[in-house]
Amino acid sequence: MLEFLHYGFMQRALLSSVIVGTTCSCIGVFVVLRGMAFAGSGLAHAAFGGVALGFLLAVNPLFAAVLFCLGTAGLIQVASRKAQMRMDAAIGVFFAFAMALGVLFIGLMRRYDARVYGYLFGNVLGVTAGNLVLMAALGLVVIGTLGLLYRQLKFLTFDEEMAEASGLPTGALAALLLGLLALTVVVSLKTVGIILVEALLVTPAATAYQLTHRYGMMFVLSWITGVVSCVAGLVISYALGIPSGAAIVIVATAFFALAALFSPKRRKCKVCGRESLADTV
Amino acid sequence: MTSATEDSVRFDHVTVAYHQVVGIEDVSFELKPGEFLGIIGPNGSGKTTLLRAVLGLVRPASGSVTVLGATGREIAGVRRQIGYVPQRRALDPQFPITVRDAVVMGLYPMLGAFGRMTADDRRRVEAALVAVGLLASADHAAGHLSGGQQQRLLIARALVQEPRILLLDEPTSAVDVATRSTIVELVRQLHAERGLTTLYVTHDVNEVMPCVDKVLYINRTVRAFGSCEQVLSRETLESLYGGRVIFAEDGGRRYVIVGDRHA
Repeated sequence: MLEFLHYGFMQRALLSSVIVGTTCSCIGVFVVLRGMAFAGSGLAHAAFGGVALGFLLAVNPLFAAVLFCLGTAGLIQVASRKAQMRMDAAIGVFFAFAMALGVLFIGLMRRYDARVYGYLFGNVLGVTAGNLVLMAALGLVVIGTLGLLYRQLKFLTFDEEMAEASGLPTGALAALLLGLLALTVVVSLKTVGIILVEALLVTPAATAYQLTHRYGMMFVLSWITGVVSCVAGLVISYALGIPSGAAIVIVATAFFALAALFSPKRRKCKVCGRESLADTV
Repeated sequence: MTSATEDSVRFDHVTVAYHQVVGIEDVSFELKPGEFLGIIGPNGSGKTTLLRAVLGLVRPASGSVTVLGATGREIAGVRRQIGYVPQRRALDPQFPITVRDAVVMGLYPMLGAFGRMTADDRRRVEAALVAVGLLASADHAAGHLSGGQQQRLLIARALVQEPRILLLDEPTSAVDVATRSTIVELVRQLHAERGLTTLYVTHDVNEVMPCVDKVLYINRTVRAFGSCEQVLSRETLESLYGGRVIFAEDGGRRYVIVGDRHA
């Protein structure tokens, strides 16, 4: 039954599923708690510009996507600061611009290359050893930074004003999170693609959010959901011959639906809600 | 470090002018260690900016702020001795954090990035929870607390670092009327028991009555500062509110009723 594990492409696919599931589900906790879902989707679309540039210049599309995503994240950050507007407007401006550049780059190519479109929906079975090295390196950067700044990011996420008052560089930390989100998008491009990466950034963490009141536990549950969705999606996609990105997202959404339906958090609320916790005065 | 005779907080002709914040102009006052200052003023009068200046988060364009002997950039070095209770918006009821965990955040600046909680740190957290009456709810979700309890949680977080100065920014603004007086009483009790220099911001003059030490009326600039008798007299209050004020007595306490603010 497990004979498919003997294939090299399948081993690489499994490994990449674990990397993608881990990276997305951990940064996803911040995406959900800080309301960065649009930033995730915007940066994913910006990656399209990078991938197209990579093909145009015949350089590694993932490297080009790293530069493009980080650049877009930087522009979003600078514009929302300097132009003093809401970040979602800045995201709207620059993600559309990066997409437009992508369309332009494709138009400039002498020959049509269908592989560009492979990045839109991803194909986990097409992950190469070189891809894996880059994904693992970026994933380590993301997870390592989140680990190093665990307390600072927790404080920032729970109470930004108070974090600033206690001396944390909140602006820099928020910019850093956006940068890490950009790297996470690139990690996921080969596996789930530009269109579907949003699901992995949001759904595992949203599932965990339904299930726990503890901050650390939210990472654990999000991670389990993310990795199990990716690996199960991969196996299903192989067994049924359906696109891997779609299978992964459908599995993750099923987990979310179950968690939302049977959330112990809200069941508990109905019984022991505000009344029993009301002021004792 | 300051000696007992020095001022705990001192503003000398402080002007803060940024386009992001409500400015304050030529503000001067001083507080001795352990004094309670009620800061009153309408919305948008610079009360929060004044507290942020005490924390060193906004720098004066002119004049100087001195806190526990530190001035200018040095204030960051004494910030650990200042407990701050910011104005509260209701917490997200689903945010995954327990009451105890939220109080522990008050220790983060002292713990550093990797510092472990010591037994002494845990004792401080327990003591802060006990002081505000939340020990029984320590493992509940912070977002499930009532408005008054969430306010107590924020006060506990400010107390956990065992500060010498306590700043409170409209601590009753998001609390129902029935709970307001218990918050006010809690703050007064903490001030008395711990000898905290306390700056209590409110737009309701009745919350600083009966007055403890000093009152500052601010509307961009200092409109009145001094002892309770000086500031909370009928003449001053009527000139400040621009209308008739009525003093009412009930159960030995004095209340101010403002006739018409728009007169």
